[in-house]
Amino acid sequence: MVFLDAKQPGNPIIFANDSFLSLTGYSRKEVLGQNFNFLMAHGADAEAMARIKAEFETGSDRGAEILYRRKNGSEFWACLFVRPVRDENGDVVQYFASYVDLTKHKEELTQSRMLIDELNHRVKNTLATVQSIVWQALRMNSDPSVIRASIESRLIALSRSHDLLTRENWKSAGLHDLVQNALEPFGVAGGRADRIVIKGENIRFPPQAALALSIAFNELATNAMKYGSLSNEKGSILIEWKIENTPEGAQLILHWQENDGPPVTPPSRKGFGSGVIERGLAHELQGSAHIDYRRDGLFCTMNIPAPRGAFDE
Amino acid sequence: MLILMMIESMLTDLGCDSVTAAATVDKALALIETQVFDAAMLDVNLKGDNSRPVADALAARGIPFFFSTGNGGHHTMDGYENRAVLRKPFIFEDLAAIFASLC
Repeated sequence: MVFLDAKQPGNPIIFANDSFLSLTGYSRKEVLGQNFNFLMAHGADAEAMARIKAEFETGSDRGAEILYRRKNGSEFWACLFVRPVRDENGDVVQYFASYVDLTKHKEELTQSRMLIDELNHRVKNTLATVQSIVWQALRMNSDPSVIRASIESRLIALSRSHDLLTRENWKSAGLHDLVQNALEPFGVAGGRADRIVIKGENIRFPPQAALALSIAFNELATNAMKYGSLSNEKGSILIEWKIENTPEGAQLILHWQENDGPPVTPPSRKGFGSGVIERGLAHELQGSAHIDYRRDGLFCTMNIPAPRGAFDE
Repeated sequence: MLILMMIESMLTDLGCDSVTAAATVDKALALIETQVFDAAMLDVNLKGDNSRPVADALAARGIPFFFSTGNGGHHTMDGYENRAVLRKPFIFEDLAAIFASLC
């Protein structure tokens, strides 16, 4: 806080406490005698001058937010409160001015604005993803109950992958965790837990890639439930992956191998699920993916660049 | 990923013979170098990178294009304020109308 001389033009500073000096970076000697507004970042800012003038005249409870500049040139927002000091005759002889540093408050506002923007972006993308799920379901089927089931199962898969990423603060998700998360509804429902084997390191993928992988595994598992090795009593699935060093860099090679299911016949037309994996996933992760309808069990290979920092955990 | 697949199938429904997609700025630039495009739809953000270099490359070759974005705000790229912007989620007819105006 500072005291100002109310009788002199420009209201020079006649007292400054230590907090004011540490806030502004000036020494007491540099401050005393200075015009009250010497700290303003934009001296000629008419709007700020009007707010200061109003604060001098009426002394609101909310103060006036002003951008100030420290001695070292850095700027900071402060809330200015001004109260008059009167003599025994009631004349204003001094002003008492205090500053509340708003730096942290402003940073929090910026941070929360960024979070809101990011959230909005994600929500819009999620809505477009839902639109895509509905669009594809309507395109591929005509039976309303099939359409409904197709939309529901994909929405639930999407929702589960959001849960997983939320548990990880939307930083990344481990491959082992996300495969397990995607297959859980299929294992638990039919008591098939021991028929699904997942082998591989918990390699971390960024959120977008983790979502894409989760959707892909949901498609594979759905197909296995309907036609593949989860459609009978004894079939099983082995999912395993490893990282191989290639001239193009570290590649993640993942195999989805179905065994002991009913004999496989290639579908007469490519469905949405295979499109998701062979084109969608390959595009999203900039790798390749291939589904081989082997007679003794569907075999899917994914060959994707290992995420940067894959070996960190 | 699913959004892209929907756009691909929408464009196929609209009669596009060939649809090519790029997930990154580098890949998009490489495609523009090596292929001939009749029109392009450009997300303002490609894997976290601003897609301005792609817009510049498309503009330099005179390939008609428009933007798509998940941002609801008045987000436009300097110099491309007059380009159409399709906001996600979007209506099929809007996509069709924008493409019809480009080609």
